[in-house]
Amino acid sequence: MNQAAFGSTKEYVASKQLLASVNVAVALEKPLLIKGEPGTGKTMLAQAVANSLGKKLLIWNIKSTTKAQDGLYMYDTIKRLYDGQFGEEGVEDISRYIKLGKLGEAFESPEQVVLLIDEIDKADLEFPNDLLWELDQMEFYIHETKRTVKAKKRPIVIITSNAEKELPDAFLRRCIFHYIDFPDRDLMEEIVRVHYPDVEANLLKEAMDIFYEIRSLRDIRKKPSTSELIDWVNALQIGGIPAEQIKKAIPFIGVIVKKDEDLETVRNKVVY
Amino acid sequence: MFADFFYTCKAKGLSITLGEWLTLHEALDKGLAGSSLTQFYYLARTILVKSETDFDKFDMAFEECFRGVQSENEVTAQMLKWLDKPEMAELLHQEEKRWLNQIEEIKVDKEDVEEKFKQRLKDQDSEHNGGSYWIGTMGKTSFGNTGGNVGGVRVGGTTGYQSAFAVIGARKYRDFRDDRMLDNRQFQMALRRLRHFSTKLDVPKTELDINGTIDKTCNNGGCLQIVMEKPRKNAVKLLLLMDSGGTMIPFSNLLNELFQAVNKSNHYKDVKTYYFHNCIYSKLYKTPECENGDWVDTEWVFRNLDSDYKVIVVGDAAMAPEELYSESGNYRGPNGGLSGMQWLQLLKRHYKKIVWLNPKMAPGHAPWREAETAIKEIFPMYKLTVEGLNQAMTTLMTNKSR
Repeated sequence: MNQAAFGSTKEYVASKQLLASVNVAVALEKPLLIKGEPGTGKTMLAQAVANSLGKKLLIWNIKSTTKAQDGLYMYDTIKRLYDGQFGEEGVEDISRYIKLGKLGEAFESPEQVVLLIDEIDKADLEFPNDLLWELDQMEFYIHETKRTVKAKKRPIVIITSNAEKELPDAFLRRCIFHYIDFPDRDLMEEIVRVHYPDVEANLLKEAMDIFYEIRSLRDIRKKPSTSELIDWVNALQIGGIPAEQIKKAIPFIGVIVKKDEDLETVRNKVVY
Repeated sequence: MFADFFYTCKAKGLSITLGEWLTLHEALDKGLAGSSLTQFYYLARTILVKSETDFDKFDMAFEECFRGVQSENEVTAQMLKWLDKPEMAELLHQEEKRWLNQIEEIKVDKEDVEEKFKQRLKDQDSEHNGGSYWIGTMGKTSFGNTGGNVGGVRVGGTTGYQSAFAVIGARKYRDFRDDRMLDNRQFQMALRRLRHFSTKLDVPKTELDINGTIDKTCNNGGCLQIVMEKPRKNAVKLLLLMDSGGTMIPFSNLLNELFQAVNKSNHYKDVKTYYFHNCIYSKLYKTPECENGDWVDTEWVFRNLDSDYKVIVVGDAAMAPEELYSESGNYRGPNGGLSGMQWLQLLKRHYKKIVWLNPKMAPGHAPWREAETAIKEIFPMYKLTVEGLNQAMTTLMTNKSR
């Protein structure tokens, strides 16, 4: 099974270990669980993997009310009942009222797809456990129609978690795990340049100085993230702020610091 | 072929299953590690380790297997107990500045310290605090914790100075082991035991009542009539009282986790949280800072939160005797004419179900902790670990009163 390996794309810069993890997960046909600080590009990874391998991307966004069943299929009983009342045609065909969820879609797809299960920790504590069999065997059974939906081509499953809730052990055992470290300066520079290739070197340096300094402050409550730095650099560019002004005034600070208490801390401690 | 590595990982506390181990072999078979040790390291880590908090254990196991480095400094549980003295940190605070001035002048040879440490581990047979030779707290030897010696080996406890050569047996990661304390998921699972389903609540009817629908539809001559019902909801109400006194500071992270877990467990009918300082008196504070004025009357709480509330008190129960027994023992706020002990009795009388969770409860019978022993007499007390919390929840849910 010689598949094209995943590499950094034009829009996404990944560290070597991350590339290795993705390729391991693809080769071993296991779900890849990605954890990391908010804003380190967990969700974007799936898009990049899909682009790089030339596959279609399906996204299953998890919310606090999401049930495992939602990803498999839905049986619209009430619609069928009403249809029965009015003698609509085809009521005896249950499969007309079965709608596949994202996971089902991924299984039914004739070609291999990348399936992103985004922010799995948002759901109920037991949610991951309810998907064990489906992710292992890549199949599920529709009771109403007595049909088994089996993956035609095993999808590449990428799961992200913000570590809001701990995930159950049984689930973790089946995954390949990767923790996205916060990027260091060099990698960060590369990442910003991917988004804004012609950002002025001085401006970027000054902005990163401030950014890493704020992150290093002990009593900061919400550390600024990569995506916030990117936004900030953009704001500085658009605002036409000269590089030497950045440290003096820290313009548009609201883009990277979002809490009142943190603003206070930054004003007191970051002084040039 | 790496069976040793497997067992070393296990010994370091990583819970690796055979399935994961076989997956690693499959990956090696497919040549995913190439022939590089670094690649092998990342490959093994990505397959075997499922949490960034375990990376350190994995690193230790890896180093031991593939570099032959071994550490023989085993610190006994008994010794760790002698060193379990978070309260010493407060004392230390006053001395801190004096010591810090001397830091620059101290130079210690690492090998020398480790050598002596091993020797002394063998010799020591009792608890020492404040001395200058044995391993203990607040001392000036190179061993033990919360001490003034800055170039030594720290044994257990929490970090005072950062400069100890090696944190031997600090067991930073024990929170993730069997008696783990800090795992939010475990807390939440434990809190789930507090359930008492009831449909008598005042909520909208959002669930399809199948039996009702069939009945109505039949009575309606087969013409469909849908009946909805109220979802079954948890009827448990929770009152959380947290100690926020000085001696609790070492546990603030733990309390934070518990607080988060309670707040995330949104299946309770109601959760109320108040804070107190060392002991409960006539006022309960609204914030952990326990600022004067930012409080409610304890009696108001009794009046407004009825006796069905299940009460969880979290505190180290390390009051001074006068804080517990004197009618003017509250040195921060009003006493309300009663001693701390009497307030606790009132609390017990008012609520049907109360448990006390203590993050540093002494194992077994500990008569030297006077306040703790006295409070154990009134409330069932559990150590604030996942296991203790589970027991406490069971106590809260059982019907018979103590």
